[in-house]
Amino acid sequence: MNNEKSADSSVKETLCVACDRNISTVFDRFEAMQPECGFGQLGVCCRNCVMGPCRIGPFGEGAKEGICGANADTIAARNLVRMIAGGAAAHSDHGRDVAHTLLATSEGKTEGYAIKGKEKLFDLAKELNIKTENRKIEEIAHDVAEKCFAEFGQQYGELQFTKRAPKKRQEIWRKNKLTPRGIDREVVEIMHRTHIGVDNDYENLIQQGMRASLSDGWGGSMIATDLQDILFGSPTPVRSVSNLGVLKEDEVNIIVHGHEPTLSDVIVTASQDKELLELAKSYGAKGINLAGICCTANEILMRRGIPIAGNFLQQELAIITGAVEVFITDVQCVMPSLGKIAGCFHTKVVSTSPKAKFPGVEHIEFSEEEALPIAKKIVRLAIENYKNRKKELVNIPKEKMELIAGFTSEYVFKMLGGKYRATYRPLNDAIISGRLRGAVGIVGCNNPKVKHDWAHIELTKELIKNDVLVVTTGCSAIASAKAGLLLPEAAKKYAGKGLQEICEAVGCPPVLHMGSCVDISRILTTLCNVITEGGLGEDISDLPVAAAAPEWMSEKAVSIGFYAVVSGIYTVLGLPLPVMGGKNLTEYLTNDIENTVGGKFAFEPDPLKAAKLIIEHLNKKRELLKLKPMMYIK
Amino acid sequence: MNYVIIGASAAGISAIESIRETDKNGKITIVSDEDYPIYSRCLLSYYLAGTISEEKLKYRDDDFYKKNNVNAILGKKVELVLPDKKVKLSDSTIVPFDKLLIATGSRSKTEKIPGVQLEGVLGLRNIEDAKKIEVRLDKTKTAVMLGGGLIGLRAAYALHKRGVKVTVVVKSKHVLSQILDEEGASFIQKEMEKQGIKILTGLSATEIVGNKDVNGVVLENGEKIDCEIVVIGKGVQANTELVKGTDIKTERGIIVDDELKTTVSDIYSAGDVAQTSDLITGEKTINALWPNAVIQGKIAGLNMAGKNIKYDGSLAMNSVEFFGLPTISYGITKPKGEGYEFIVKKKYKKFVLKNNKIVGFVLVGDIDNAGVYGSLLRKKIDISSVKNKLLENNFNFAKILPLIKEHKDKFFEKEYDEVFAEQINAVKR
Amino acid sequence: MKKVYCDVSKCLGCRSCEIACAVEHSKSKTLFLAIKEEPLPINRRKVQAVDEIIISNACHHCEEAPCISACMSGAMYKAPDGSTQHDEEKCVGCWMCIMVCPFAAISRQTKLALKCDLCKDRTEGPVCVISCPTKSLVIKEVQK
Repeated sequence: MNNEKSADSSVKETLCVACDRNISTVFDRFEAMQPECGFGQLGVCCRNCVMGPCRIGPFGEGAKEGICGANADTIAARNLVRMIAGGAAAHSDHGRDVAHTLLATSEGKTEGYAIKGKEKLFDLAKELNIKTENRKIEEIAHDVAEKCFAEFGQQYGELQFTKRAPKKRQEIWRKNKLTPRGIDREVVEIMHRTHIGVDNDYENLIQQGMRASLSDGWGGSMIATDLQDILFGSPTPVRSVSNLGVLKEDEVNIIVHGHEPTLSDVIVTASQDKELLELAKSYGAKGINLAGICCTANEILMRRGIPIAGNFLQQELAIITGAVEVFITDVQCVMPSLGKIAGCFHTKVVSTSPKAKFPGVEHIEFSEEEALPIAKKIVRLAIENYKNRKKELVNIPKEKMELIAGFTSEYVFKMLGGKYRATYRPLNDAIISGRLRGAVGIVGCNNPKVKHDWAHIELTKELIKNDVLVVTTGCSAIASAKAGLLLPEAAKKYAGKGLQEICEAVGCPPVLHMGSCVDISRILTTLCNVITEGGLGEDISDLPVAAAAPEWMSEKAVSIGFYAVVSGIYTVLGLPLPVMGGKNLTEYLTNDIENTVGGKFAFEPDPLKAAKLIIEHLNKKRELLKLKPMMYIK
Repeated sequence: MNYVIIGASAAGISAIESIRETDKNGKITIVSDEDYPIYSRCLLSYYLAGTISEEKLKYRDDDFYKKNNVNAILGKKVELVLPDKKVKLSDSTIVPFDKLLIATGSRSKTEKIPGVQLEGVLGLRNIEDAKKIEVRLDKTKTAVMLGGGLIGLRAAYALHKRGVKVTVVVKSKHVLSQILDEEGASFIQKEMEKQGIKILTGLSATEIVGNKDVNGVVLENGEKIDCEIVVIGKGVQANTELVKGTDIKTERGIIVDDELKTTVSDIYSAGDVAQTSDLITGEKTINALWPNAVIQGKIAGLNMAGKNIKYDGSLAMNSVEFFGLPTISYGITKPKGEGYEFIVKKKYKKFVLKNNKIVGFVLVGDIDNAGVYGSLLRKKIDISSVKNKLLENNFNFAKILPLIKEHKDKFFEKEYDEVFAEQINAVKR
Repeated sequence: MKKVYCDVSKCLGCRSCEIACAVEHSKSKTLFLAIKEEPLPINRRKVQAVDEIIISNACHHCEEAPCISACMSGAMYKAPDGSTQHDEEKCVGCWMCIMVCPFAAISRQTKLALKCDLCKDRTEGPVCVISCPTKSLVIKEVQK
């Protein structure tokens, strides 16, 4: 009965349990919501002022303009850039929080944090023109944090990290007034421009949307990634496991869900505390088992090897296993249904962020100043709750898959060249010689409109089959992890000959997990390094690369999609942007925009067709670069 | 044309309307042994419960006969159907006819146990029964229902609502054993017991005791239940006595063909007294239900007036609600033999399938889509493509649109065409 | 007889018809008051979908209405204009009509059956037609 809902068999099992106990999940609520309003899906519903709400009929009947006179393109464009604002704000606010944590830590005001990524700190200080000689680590970190903080309130100039991009790319941005001036400023300007009676030209609106997306990708997200590496250490390849089977029957299970490792990393530390372990044992548990969901899972996986329980659509199912003592949440992608579902079990859902509260959920407010004590308090809560677990309600699916994660733009140097000859040369050569067709980043969420995980896995398999190196982040990475694609063995099973050879030589999987959604900034940095290494053009748009989000759902994904396109990357989405009611706008985003920024969107729900589009694109770029023909698969 | 109709309930009244639709001038005479305005006997339990007034029992206006130009002979019974197109009434009047419709319905079966003739032992079949029960209510503390079918339960519910302590004695393992499976029936049984109605299953009554007035019932296990009213709900029996000695073939009822004609020309039968083909099994059977009687009466009337409308058969279908729990049973719900598939959802939906076609279903609680399932059953549609959707909470009419498209020939009613009339606005332009 | 048809190629599932239907059958007949009424007014028209098709579904006022044959209290009847109407006074909530309606267009509301009445009390005609922003719902004379 539930077969069609997911490619992951653990989902089917757990949904049956949910069904038996009359617990409604995201899948049931999705069915109950059908049919969804077509006006909304087409982007032609406007609620920006109370002269409306307005709808523009797509069939030529009824209203052809909103009451203020806005046409379908304007309305759809306004709605779309507001989505960018929402997504960029989420990522950037996360970055702001990390900058705050680094700043406070450098001043000795926090408990539970340290400056672990010293190499990265020095690199970043150099990049930001901060003196490092004869200075204490804390002083350098302080200045780095302050400079990053300043990016948020900056009014004029250019965001620092845009200078990482190839010169040509920076020129394109400058020429088209796309270079972001300040992180918060760009988001505010979207809100202003989309107010009634301000910006009514869809191209102009999109221009601001593009600029704001860059303030995310080359701003807020990049700050988050880099400062997180400084605080928690740069990831290096790590082995771990994924899927609901990581939950243990005889240990205290703690799940952490959300996005900010400023919380989850400290929880990891707390869960390894000797005293707390003893306490757990005294309650009859063999240990404390921490697992993550969504991006915070990816953060603690990448740096600490913590297992992943599941991705976005599995968050409720984790509780439904009946085996979770405490489910800790912070911000983003947390479903408000969790409180109600936890009420059917002994599970305690605990919210921690003052920005993210839920009805019926216990709130233990987290602060960096008392990070470790608070984290220990939460872990203790879990241990005390272990005795309340009802054995007859425990249904842990057996699905569990090993994985290797922990790849960063820095690590690629070491991986390919070895410790003493850190270089991207082998990667560039592989592409130039035709062993690798190119590289594609497959990222993004789950969405019940698409069979769970299916599109991610099919697209990934099809691309690696055609000698395309895949890098992945977020819920997509988790999908690939659960399907066994993050293992070197997967190369033998699924990859084309060229990619297989590389994986064998390097000892890596055909799909490289680069982290959380803010870590897509790692992909941007990697592309910059590839250009710098040489032989593959001068701009990101010259590269045989592409991006895909086959099952996206959030506003964050819209922001990411945009900053990819505006960085010159062809981006294929599994669900269309909600703009199809604005025909000119749709044409612009899927066609004309390429003339300005060298990248564009394509909408293709079928993963195999999407793969075809991408491969054609990579081939086209290879031709333009006059690269050698593909060695193995044409 | 001289039409005579025997019986003024669902089938008879329906026939009058369909005859008049076709033949404005023919003479119509109706004979009924009840001298009472046209009423729905299905509403009797609601009347007894106090939910509706006596006035509301009527389902046609008081001037129905006059408006339709019908000669109504009320309070007289037809004793015999005579050869050469005549009927004889209880007062020996002879009424000739050109076309005759026998819609005499059925009567309650009685229990053949001692004491059944005592005062206060009643059926609930007609207004007379209902009034007799009502009159006794003042001096009734406890009532016993014999029989766990619809009549027994409806009467139990009605009397319970009037403040009487009720016990239902059921011979089968569970109530409503004729129409529901055990699990479906359990919901009703549990709810009734929760509300204070006592239900004893697997038991029969051996004797009704009393001194002119009933004062108790003795069960086969020796237990005696004190009571002042006994209602017998042991099913109904077709009123076929009037055709004794004629060539009109009977079995459990009067056998009719697919135009509702009996074995004697110009004589038709419809309603509880008529034995028609069962839509699913094809066997000749009586599905004594109001909607069946109405439709049979309608078709019989049209055919008496010269048309040739085919009746595709009757179905067992029942809808009942007790204490806020609605239940619908439709078709074959307790199949015997091989080859049946069941799909069941807890609380509670059950489908009985044969060769991927629905032959019966039971719904308890959520009855919204009964008519859609019913249409799939009646039209004998292969439901393989929606099999996994039938039980889902979000099942609705739209889910069978692909089936309607695929089987246009079976979904022939005009209204189905209209669903796909995309040329509506093309025409408009 | 005139009745309401839905052109499925134009229905976008916005449910404006559902809201308009409920408000029309409320006591106050305005949206902001209707949402506070007790009991809440109920829509007789439902937007439903299968795969790519969306339809706004309500009583089809069938020529040969099964609900009228099944109704044991005479509550369901054909009005002079040919529409199928429901007399709430006569309804006892037996649900025979729901049992036989092939479009599941009748809903069970605690004690009474409920279905589209073609807004018979409204001089301008059915309100769902006017509320439909894509003109998917139209009122048309029934073809013989």
